[in-house]
Amino acid sequence: MQLAIWLLAVIALFSLVGTLIPQNQQAAEYISRYGHTGYEILLKTGLLNMYSSWWFIFLMGLLSLNLSVCLINRFSPRLRLLGTFLSHFSILMILAGALTGMFFGEKGYVQIKEGQSIDSFISKGKPVALNFSLKLEDFIYEEYIDDEENLLVYDNEGALLLELNAGDDKNTAIADSGYSIKILRYVPDFSMDLSTKEVVSRSQEPINPALQVALTDKDGNSVESWVFARYPDVHMSAEKKFNFKYQWKMRRPKEFISRVAVIKDREIVSEKDIKVNSPLKYGGYAFFQSSYDKESLAWSGLQIVKDPGVPIVYLGFILLIFGLSIIFYVNPALRSRAT
Amino acid sequence: MLPVYLNISFAAYFLSMFFYFAALFFKHKALSLAARIFLCLGVAGLTAYMLLRWQVAQRPPLSNMFESVVLFAWVVGLAGFFIDMRYRLKILAALVSALSLLTLGISFLLDKEIVPLLPALKSNWLTIHVLTCFIGYAALTVGFVASVVLLLTDEKTDILDAISHKTIAFGFLFLTLGIVSGAVWANSAWGTYWSWDPKETWSLITWFIYAIYLHARFRRGWKGKKAAWFSIIGFLAMLFTYFGVNYLLRGLHSYA
Repeated sequence: MQLAIWLLAVIALFSLVGTLIPQNQQAAEYISRYGHTGYEILLKTGLLNMYSSWWFIFLMGLLSLNLSVCLINRFSPRLRLLGTFLSHFSILMILAGALTGMFFGEKGYVQIKEGQSIDSFISKGKPVALNFSLKLEDFIYEEYIDDEENLLVYDNEGALLLELNAGDDKNTAIADSGYSIKILRYVPDFSMDLSTKEVVSRSQEPINPALQVALTDKDGNSVESWVFARYPDVHMSAEKKFNFKYQWKMRRPKEFISRVAVIKDREIVSEKDIKVNSPLKYGGYAFFQSSYDKESLAWSGLQIVKDPGVPIVYLGFILLIFGLSIIFYVNPALRSRAT
Repeated sequence: MLPVYLNISFAAYFLSMFFYFAALFFKHKALSLAARIFLCLGVAGLTAYMLLRWQVAQRPPLSNMFESVVLFAWVVGLAGFFIDMRYRLKILAALVSALSLLTLGISFLLDKEIVPLLPALKSNWLTIHVLTCFIGYAALTVGFVASVVLLLTDEKTDILDAISHKTIAFGFLFLTLGIVSGAVWANSAWGTYWSWDPKETWSLITWFIYAIYLHARFRRGWKGKKAAWFSIIGFLAMLFTYFGVNYLLRGLHSYA
């Protein structure tokens, strides 16, 4: 008991240290923070990857041992001890579940380009083969578009002809000019490859937001053009009849969607839109949306997890809550009825 | 029209605090009654504010620092009301309503803009996780206030000690629910139920401190001032989990 309190205090103290020293960062970042010698010392003590260092796990092991001894010593099948038993046993279960995951779980990260598939990943430094392949059909990045993010179209005299929300992707007539306009694409950080004339977004930061629009005349002839929020006077392949103004507003991420297909023996056996809170579960593995290509949205990063410890941990969670509820509420109620 | 309710609650919490303190010096029933009514009014105003914000934002108003601070002011006010009804300790009620007022005051310094939900927050776990955490925080806050009063006065030590113990037990249960629901949510969003992110780690440190408090009480019979000091340490850890981590440390939990 005495020991358990000290163990909890020591684990809490080390955990605290681990929040003050950023964990698992690049060497360069530590060197700029602590200097070369500081980095060497921290590296040797394991404080840079503290929560999986041998001595932190050793402390957890000691706590489990201590808990087990307490449970065995004090165990007696009496109802009033049920809460105490459950709440302590549940901690052991949670730790056992975590250990199960460490030994028998698989965890890895893959980047898939649109149109391509993967059928293996690296877990704990070793390749793991899947008995199916996962194809990324499409990666979709959705954003919230503000009601006030508008494209304004003026005639040459400066009269406003049309106000179009930047999220509108329909072909819209420009007053009675005989022309119609359609927003084709948005890039937050416009950049053009001068040799191929291909437009990419240099980043997802709104450094040079631009809209690509198509102008169509009444005969169906169409010209494409780019309109820039920060450079209102520049139009590429400008249509001289109109002036444009792009009122840009901050866009926020709405959804990251990886549209994937599970392929087994050349047949699609499952399809799913993986979103942040909605992983694909297949063949004992779960696939989570984890990162994406911030430049051209061409690939998606997925976290692949198989953790047989999770059910044990969850059962531990449930028992812990039951145990605490019994200690704090059922036992006092029984006691007050008895007296 | 939204901020009107916030202002009404601020005024109501202020008057409630004022009347509670007045009732401490002038023993008149009308004063405590007025304090209680204003506390209810403050809670009602915040309820209206949060419901309206929910309607406008089309999502529960539980997703950034401002919204969480309003929730905290609401739940602490509510806790203060229950504690007052149950124990009728004016000094305790006065300090709890002062804390609700302070919390609501902090909300005026924060960015009120309604922003849409980030993909990571789009989950039913959001409501469960945030509510359980804040119910826990509120109970631990009341436990802290009771401990402070216990340390400062020599009267009613037993009742204050019992209040502190009961609210901490309740708060510990809800802190557990908050941590557990957070872990389950993290597992369904990222595939990892625990990643030692600073917020998670600090919530665990807080949990450990209160676990030690409860064990020291059960087994070693810690009571009164000794236990009260421990409750204060636990509360400071809780405050750091809530505010400190966001402003001083970085991690996954950058919303609130």
